[in-house]
Amino acid sequence: MIARTLVLGLLLLTVAVVETALLPFLPLRAIEPNLLLLIVLAVALHDGVQPGARVGFVAGLLVDLLVAQAPVGSATLVFTSIGGIVGTARPYLATASVTAPLILAFVTGLVGTAAYGSMSLLLGEERVTWEAVTAAGLRVGLFNTLLAPLALVAVRRLSNRFPIGAAMTDD
Amino acid sequence: MYQRRRARILIGVLLFVSLVLVTLDVRGGEGHLLERLRGSATTVLTPIQDGVSTLVRPLGDATANLREVFRIRAENVELRERVDELEQRRRARADLERENRELRDLLDIRDHAELETVTARAVALAPSSFEWTITIDAGSNDGVERDMPVVNGDGLVGRVIQVTPAASRVLLAIDPSFSAAARSGRTGEIGTLSGRGGEPMLLQPLDPSADIELGDVVVTSSYAGGVFPGGLPIGVVTDAGDPSARLTRTIQVLPYVDFTRLHHVHVVLSAPVEPVPPLDGTADIPFQPPPIQRGPDDDEEPDSGEDEGGEDADEQPTEEGSG
Repeated sequence: MIARTLVLGLLLLTVAVVETALLPFLPLRAIEPNLLLLIVLAVALHDGVQPGARVGFVAGLLVDLLVAQAPVGSATLVFTSIGGIVGTARPYLATASVTAPLILAFVTGLVGTAAYGSMSLLLGEERVTWEAVTAAGLRVGLFNTLLAPLALVAVRRLSNRFPIGAAMTDD
Repeated sequence: MYQRRRARILIGVLLFVSLVLVTLDVRGGEGHLLERLRGSATTVLTPIQDGVSTLVRPLGDATANLREVFRIRAENVELRERVDELEQRRRARADLERENRELRDLLDIRDHAELETVTARAVALAPSSFEWTITIDAGSNDGVERDMPVVNGDGLVGRVIQVTPAASRVLLAIDPSFSAAARSGRTGEIGTLSGRGGEPMLLQPLDPSADIELGDVVVTSSYAGGVFPGGLPIGVVTDAGDPSARLTRTIQVLPYVDFTRLHHVHVVLSAPVEPVPPLDGTADIPFQPPPIQRGPDDDEEPDSGEDEGGEDADEQPTEEGSG
């Protein structure tokens, strides 16, 4: 359990660094996936609501502390909600479905970005506009959909390598 | 059931903590706990981020440089086209400037000075079919002198050959005894222009191989003793002749002026250009100014037979001496 927590923490930290230090310097700077949100989605889909909510909380906190300038807690709120909602919906999804994770990746990317932008707007971030929120949500949804298979495979392997305790799963 | 309840509680707690964090961050002032936490996280992760970006940046820069090469290449092509366009404009501008100079010459705006003229009315035409003169109602009382150029709105009409106090006689430019120094408005090639009656005028350039083409404008030249101010329009080249002619080359010039419809003319009161004496050592330059033909009513006897058959000797008395 400790190893899994450490590995997941390391994964989140790595993804956060990649998102902040790698993607901005790549030639194709129009690529704007939200990798941390994608990890939250993958964990929630694979392990259920509690791991999803916990990972969402930590990932959101990382975003708040490292990435964003919005008030701390904004991304935490959004990521935790998404992890919980996706984990809650997990039992109702076909386990072998390929399209469901992709659709969820798009929807969570769109809704997560829109919700985060809306919160920033509500909290007085003047630089954020509704048009920017909508455009960013669509971009993140699109790129998260494209990268979802990679994230799902990575999290699945990690979870298989460091399985969660039976008591922690929701199944 | 227990797991679901536990999950709901967990989510509720996490969301509550998130809201507390938001509240604390929004309500907190400068240097509050969350801000310090954010600063610490940034401090810890900055070296890692810096290392990663240092590793990645060359890749990004290389790709960016590659894209920059293509962009610069495209920009280079665009700039070359722009340079060509500007070069064409520059040439066109030079051509326009030259054309402007020529037109100014034609309008005789040389040195931005207007020619001083006196307007006269053509009151009589030569009775003979072999001479082309007119009589105008302006004479010495109006400041008219012998050899003064006569022009109208179209160009050179002729020159004054006889002056009385109230009238003058003008030798038209198409008269066979008329000759004047002329030049091409396009190239400035000079030559001698002479009239041929009803036929187009003849221009004989000093240089038989001169660059004179069909359609070139011919204007008067004040070169070496020409009696007219430079730049008065004469006509247009209708036959450029044979440039390979060794001795003489004859070019036909259609005058601008309609000599059959002369009603009002202007006598240019500006003094005729005095010939510049040759410099020492250059007196042997084989250039002869165009001969000034004189009518039979001039003070001196004509020295050639070209003027014979000209004006009637008893038409009007001459008051002016030779110009």
